[in-house]
Amino acid sequence: MAKVIVYPPTSMILSDLVERMGHKALVVPEAVRKLATEKGIDSPPLNVTPEEPKKGLRYAAVDVPSGVRGRMALIGPLIEEAEAAIIVQDPGCLTGCAGCSRTNELVRLLIRTKGVPILDLSYPTNDAEARDFVQKIRAFLEGLK
Amino acid sequence: MLVTKYVITSTESNILPSDIAMKIYGSKYDVLVKETCFGVIVNGEEDVVNALVKEIRSLDPAGIFIKDRGFPPGDPRRCRGRRGGGARPGFYMIESESKMLPMISRALASEGEETETIPEKKKPLSIKRLDEIIKEG
Amino acid sequence: MIRIAQLSCGSEYSGIQKEIERAAETVGAKIVYPEVTLDDILSVEKTFGVSVASGDLNLAMARAVRIVENPDLADAVVVMTCFRCAEAAIIRSEIRKFIHEHSKIPVLSYSFTERTTAETLLTRMEALVTTVKYRGLLAREKQTGLTAGIDSGSTTTKSVVMRDNKVIGTGWVPTTEVMKSAEDAFQEALKMAGVKKEEVSAVGVTGYGRFLVGKHIDAKLIQEEITVNSKGAVFLADTQKGPATVIDIGGMDNKAISVQDGIPGGFTMGGICAGASGRFLELTAKRLGVDITELGKLALKGDYKNVAMNSYCIVFGTQSLVNSLSMGKKPEDVAMAACHSVAEQVYEQQLQEVEVKEPVIMVGGTSLIEGLPKAMEQLLQVKVTVPPYAQYIGAVGAALLVSGLLEG
Repeated sequence: MAKVIVYPPTSMILSDLVERMGHKALVVPEAVRKLATEKGIDSPPLNVTPEEPKKGLRYAAVDVPSGVRGRMALIGPLIEEAEAAIIVQDPGCLTGCAGCSRTNELVRLLIRTKGVPILDLSYPTNDAEARDFVQKIRAFLEGLK
Repeated sequence: MLVTKYVITSTESNILPSDIAMKIYGSKYDVLVKETCFGVIVNGEEDVVNALVKEIRSLDPAGIFIKDRGFPPGDPRRCRGRRGGGARPGFYMIESESKMLPMISRALASEGEETETIPEKKKPLSIKRLDEIIKEG
Repeated sequence: MIRIAQLSCGSEYSGIQKEIERAAETVGAKIVYPEVTLDDILSVEKTFGVSVASGDLNLAMARAVRIVENPDLADAVVVMTCFRCAEAAIIRSEIRKFIHEHSKIPVLSYSFTERTTAETLLTRMEALVTTVKYRGLLAREKQTGLTAGIDSGSTTTKSVVMRDNKVIGTGWVPTTEVMKSAEDAFQEALKMAGVKKEEVSAVGVTGYGRFLVGKHIDAKLIQEEITVNSKGAVFLADTQKGPATVIDIGGMDNKAISVQDGIPGGFTMGGICAGASGRFLELTAKRLGVDITELGKLALKGDYKNVAMNSYCIVFGTQSLVNSLSMGKKPEDVAMAACHSVAEQVYEQQLQEVEVKEPVIMVGGTSLIEGLPKAMEQLLQVKVTVPPYAQYIGAVGAALLVSGLLEG
């Protein structure tokens, strides 16, 4: 079983396919859960406090907007843990944790420069593409040790 | 550790969110369940939730999808009723991907079958050919 | 309950969402999020005019469209995005313009960092809520009876006494001890007006010391300076109907307010850099060995282009001015360069965030430094008006508004 980070990091389809094919998907909700269940913090809606943008300095300098650094505090540790990655471009509508394009660019860059196996795909637009999409993910995941 | 998962059904699945909820209510699992328009949200101990979603998935393996969620169902910190209305931003991403689920379902169901080749995507006309067309005109 | 619609990107991930909500709550408002559909977000290119790479900005634009189509959904709007994000800065400004042009809902635009606190947002939120709550009072054009106003500023404390729409007494003292300075300025104004404190039917207080002073003297009106100053400005400049832009460069913070019929429609408040404040000009006057009241007249004779300034900073910018003097540049050129530097920074950082419509009215003590309005005129390419009693603007606005409260 490999730890696989998916991009977009909030993708339901990708995390589902990774998990149903027997691997561990590294996803943002897990990071959010850690914050949400932490005792003593009351900073709705995400329990992100000004501490997160500071933690994000590990991934981006202080002249990078606070929203990017705050998001990186959630996504960055997942990238560090990843043993493989599936990146799907042209996602249509990305909001919330994936709602900032600058963060998304940095996330893709950090995944690509990490040196783990990467599968690059596009979202399918018809049945033939969807079959190809699923097959490629299966073949990629089966190839992971 | 308590975890929360979405169980999302493809619009073409014969299983309805209410079927899933009924199955959970009638099961031995000690979990919290909340029905939504696109599926159900399940909250409970991690191993219990994992075993449960495995069972639910078996109702329609190609038509049911699972997604992790950070907050428990109805958490006042995230609940739109208590937070001035409007869907939480992440909702739109689920909605957007949900539209692709029937396609993915059919692909999962047909795994192992012979597949047709994907026609190559259209490429822009070459400058040379465009030049010829202009001259023809 | 006043509903403030929040159109934003990044506030949750900067950890300041709670601060925004706390500020709103303090001023008796509630943050709301207009409902939109996925299709609304996907079609912002058509409905708003553009879609961008960041989905949360598209969501903010979709919400703006929804508000314009259904103005009953919110009483006011805050548009907030991360400081230093170029994509968001463009969209934030366009959302502000969009709402301003297509509705009558007041808009506050702000760029935050993780250091933004409820306290930073409080005055801005208070002004936003006031423009909604007291529209009737703010529409008031005349002062009646005998009232007084006190403006407890960070550098100076001002006071006026007004009778039947006329200023009859003024007081002006440097702020040392907040309460004592207020008392002194008030006494000065009373003395000049020739009236006793007991005769004054009501006092209005504004400025950053307003809560302390207001409580102490039992003021009938305690109000932030954005609404009060815009009222005072259009009253004194006699432009109460139609659009106007009010610029107030203060000792500690600057305000740029876009006014319609005497009511603020959009505004910005900045105050991190001393280089964009009256302090910079004070320091320049000291270096040149002239009184601050003489600096403006001196500047009018100079040309800023003769002095190279490589920074707006109060430390490094002043160094440029000193270097210029040692290189034999004329004091009048240095004086004008300082005025230009302050005006340019306000122009670059604040006037981009509001609709600059004529007449442009400059108020506050700094507007009396003649070089400053002149520099602003050069930058904006429009005539800048400095009304009489410009330095008492807050006190006049407070005296005017509080007379409205007396009539119930």
